[in-house]
Amino acid sequence: MALYWKPVYRFIRLKFRKNDEDAKDLTQGFFTTALERDFFTCFDPAKASFRTYLRMAVERFAANQYAGSSRQKRGGDIQFESVEDYAATTESPEQIFEREWQRQLFALALNDLHAHCDASGKQLQFCIFEAYDLAVDEDERPSYASLAARHGIAETAVTNHLAWARRTLRGFVNERLRGVTSGEQELRKEMRRVWI
Amino acid sequence: MDLSDSVLDHLRSVAALPDLTDTRYEIESEIGRGGLGVVYRAHDRELDRPVALKVLDSALAGEAQLIAGLEHPAIVPIYETGTLPDSRAFYAMKLVTGARLDHYLAGSPSLSDRLRILRRVGEALGFAHSRGVIHRDLKPQNVMVGEFGEVYLMDWGVEAVTGTPAFRAPDSHLDQRSDIYALGAMLEFMLPASAAPALRAIARKAKSIDPAARYPDAPALLADLERFQTGLAVEAWREPLSYRLRRFGSRNAVLLWLLAAYAGVKFLLFFLRNL
Repeated sequence: MALYWKPVYRFIRLKFRKNDEDAKDLTQGFFTTALERDFFTCFDPAKASFRTYLRMAVERFAANQYAGSSRQKRGGDIQFESVEDYAATTESPEQIFEREWQRQLFALALNDLHAHCDASGKQLQFCIFEAYDLAVDEDERPSYASLAARHGIAETAVTNHLAWARRTLRGFVNERLRGVTSGEQELRKEMRRVWI
Repeated sequence: MDLSDSVLDHLRSVAALPDLTDTRYEIESEIGRGGLGVVYRAHDRELDRPVALKVLDSALAGEAQLIAGLEHPAIVPIYETGTLPDSRAFYAMKLVTGARLDHYLAGSPSLSDRLRILRRVGEALGFAHSRGVIHRDLKPQNVMVGEFGEVYLMDWGVEAVTGTPAFRAPDSHLDQRSDIYALGAMLEFMLPASAAPALRAIARKAKSIDPAARYPDAPALLADLERFQTGLAVEAWREPLSYRLRRFGSRNAVLLWLLAAYAGVKFLLFFLRNL
């Protein structure tokens, strides 16, 4: 559910032009109803990917169920943006859903990577990876030489640490994908969508 | 952790790149993407030469093993196969420079050149079939025409490949005759608008919906093509009398000219004798 909550929320927000609170209520309502009614067991992987199935179900649910009365705050510790953030977007709600799903997928895989590095004494690898690959701005991205100097290691070690972290991240992303796909064929299809 | 769009794109891009740290290759650029993986232009540091490096989406080493076993002038030779640290399979092969067949055809080559290319593809296919290997995704985009006219059939398929719609046989189970269907579809694609009906008939027969009505194998299709090119009647087409006469005329033009000359001389002599 962690992988889908925010994509569903954003999709509802944009597709049905709901405000923050209403979109949260609808999102929570959708997942609650889906779990209560065993909606996910009806999924047939031969017909569509789970993501498409879910998005279409959300569309039906939101169109039919919205009453606007329940305004209980939900959503855990997830941070939400103001509606202005969407004003300039040229993407369709479906594209936003896809994009958000990828964002959540990578965020979860990054958490896995961080935890793995902490548990296996590879904090240096994560530190280098974080400084280089998670730099918000291209201009802020440090050079290999400066990273090597900062940590007192050779430049080749920076290359190797980055290669290791990227490889491990890829593995965690694929593992997460494996968890939400029904078989090898769907997994391969999803992998092709995720990897540029 | 909230990721910005730029960070997400960067991560998708860098984590997708194959990790070649323990190999002899260095990636130079991406060449293309197929059904099962990405092909890069790479540099082989040990032998100081360019290679094409195909990295498969998952551990599908079978594809490399499959092609490595096929030694034929029209099948790209495999130099090395291996597995990357992230468990993706890869293989290094000869870097073919030239044009993809669909691009090559845009230059309006002659009919005989088109048929030469198809023959080379058919020969490679026949060879692979004789080794029990089927292509599964035969189409112009998977044929390369080199700088010196050499022809290479690329992207041999594995179980996961099901073909490209316009060239895919409507068969529930893919076998050699599914490749024959694709070869027929490719012939049809390669023919110019002015192509002879006999050639179109060959393509049609190869593309029969019923696999049993197709050519039984690639050599049978090539033999029919050969018959067309040498002026014989093709198996695929029951030609009308007018076509048969025209074909007879063009095949025996010299004989007919000699006969006409002989008749002309006889007539002249007869005419002179009766003056």
